[in-house]
Amino acid sequence: MSKLLRELRPVYVVGIGWHRYQNPSDTSYVTLGLTAIRAALADARIEWPVVESTYIGTALLGMAAGRAMLKHLGASGKPLVHIENASASGSAAFRHACIEVASGISDVVLAVGCDKRNPVVRGFTRTGIDNLADDAIVPFTHFALLTNEYATRHRVKPEDIALVAVKNHGNGAKNPNAQRQKARTLEEVLGGKPISGTLTALQCCPVGEGAAAVIVASADAIRRYGIDSSRAIRVASSAAASERPGSASDADATLTRETIQRALHEAQITANDLDVLEIHDAFTIEELLYTEAAGLCPDGAAVHALKAGEFHIGGRCAVSASGGLIAMGHPIGPTGIGQIAEITLQLRREAGPRQQPNARTGLAHMVGLGSVCYAHVLQRDS
Amino acid sequence: MFEAPLPLLKPALYARGERTPVLLGGRCACGHIFFPMQTFGCERCGKFGEALQPMPLRGHGRLRAAATVHVHADEKRPTPFTVGTIALDDGPIIRTLLLDAPPDDAAPGTEVEAVFVEVDTADGSKALDLRFRPVKQ
Ligand SMILES: [Zn+2]
Repeated sequence: MSKLLRELRPVYVVGIGWHRYQNPSDTSYVTLGLTAIRAALADARIEWPVVESTYIGTALLGMAAGRAMLKHLGASGKPLVHIENASASGSAAFRHACIEVASGISDVVLAVGCDKRNPVVRGFTRTGIDNLADDAIVPFTHFALLTNEYATRHRVKPEDIALVAVKNHGNGAKNPNAQRQKARTLEEVLGGKPISGTLTALQCCPVGEGAAAVIVASADAIRRYGIDSSRAIRVASSAAASERPGSASDADATLTRETIQRALHEAQITANDLDVLEIHDAFTIEELLYTEAAGLCPDGAAVHALKAGEFHIGGRCAVSASGGLIAMGHPIGPTGIGQIAEITLQLRREAGPRQQPNARTGLAHMVGLGSVCYAHVLQRDS
Repeated sequence: MFEAPLPLLKPALYARGERTPVLLGGRCACGHIFFPMQTFGCERCGKFGEALQPMPLRGHGRLRAAATVHVHADEKRPTPFTVGTIALDDGPIIRTLLLDAPPDDAAPGTEVEAVFVEVDTADGSKALDLRFRPVKQ
């Protein structure tokens, strides 16, 4: 019979690290990745040879980028694998690292996301099935259409939707690893460059470069290597799914609703238990759609909850305390792993000026083109 | 002098219809209707090959959303242009180009129909491509 992650042996996040997300530069991806991995090793206070296996979330580096990076840690001969799952590449790498520890195959596993902005061929354009004008509907236009649909259905205005960006840029201003670290007024967000529909530049995530690393370990390994168990954060659940046929226009929200419900159920909690939520807010509309899909508020009520401060740091559930994809950035491979690292920081109460008070439970959510969806619940023990 | 009608830009996707162009969709033995036609397999039930049969879809439906694009990296599509999400009368929801930016009163729910427009092809000749526009009352 199949089992949930929670029914296997416990998995803990014991080390986290980043290379700041930034605009494209001449920095080698090797430097980006090694910076994040060394930070995670130092955070866990363990040495590289202890790591038994590595999952590399990357979508844009090209074939076999990983060992050319990892060998500079001292080539340990341990296995590594690259995971490409569009925007959710890092989330997928984290899930499989957790499964490897939970199953008992390894005690200490690294999940690292690393990417630089490079031209990419989207595989689904090579199916041989033609399309009317898919080249005209790039991701920001897909979400501009969803914005128009949501705005009509729930009678909200562009300036209501833009409030998501004001909150997330404010959070990003407190995050030294964010690509955008500048607080923005509503006027600045609305007055920015028009992109598509009512979306403006500051309501769309920047795709740059960076890295994020997370080390997961078993309770055995925590004892064996003398890791500080008070800073270890339990992975309470892992859920993954892909789109089914149905209403094409709300596919991402439907998929999100089902995946988050499964993650909450596996963790034996409800949305009301969430103190922090890192969500796939590549575009402002997504935070509204997905906070509703997560069950944090009824459909159509997200703007009201946002205006009431419920999703701000210090509110009922801090949404995208890191700045989210909109401000922290979306370098693709690192993004899902950076979310796990942010939640770990929050649950350890080490998030400094962007700390959500008394955070105990957090959820990380990513959608990847296709669509695929991931949700992980993290929980501190006390 | 006889003038040959312009060729269709994507004849695998649409054809001339009686009143409006038709979209070349398909229907599975399970009842699932899809666009465009393909025989790889049904998204709903997995049947393939002859279980999937061509079904022309009426070029008529309701607008669910529209967006005018201001920034687009591909220079072959100069901005601004407008795209829409359209629920076809026959079931499938498609996304494609609208003929013009809808007027303010062309809100979601507006009745739309397919039309052919003349476009330049890659080799510099002319062809007909499909757009949707609000149905004139
Ligand atoms: Zn079928």
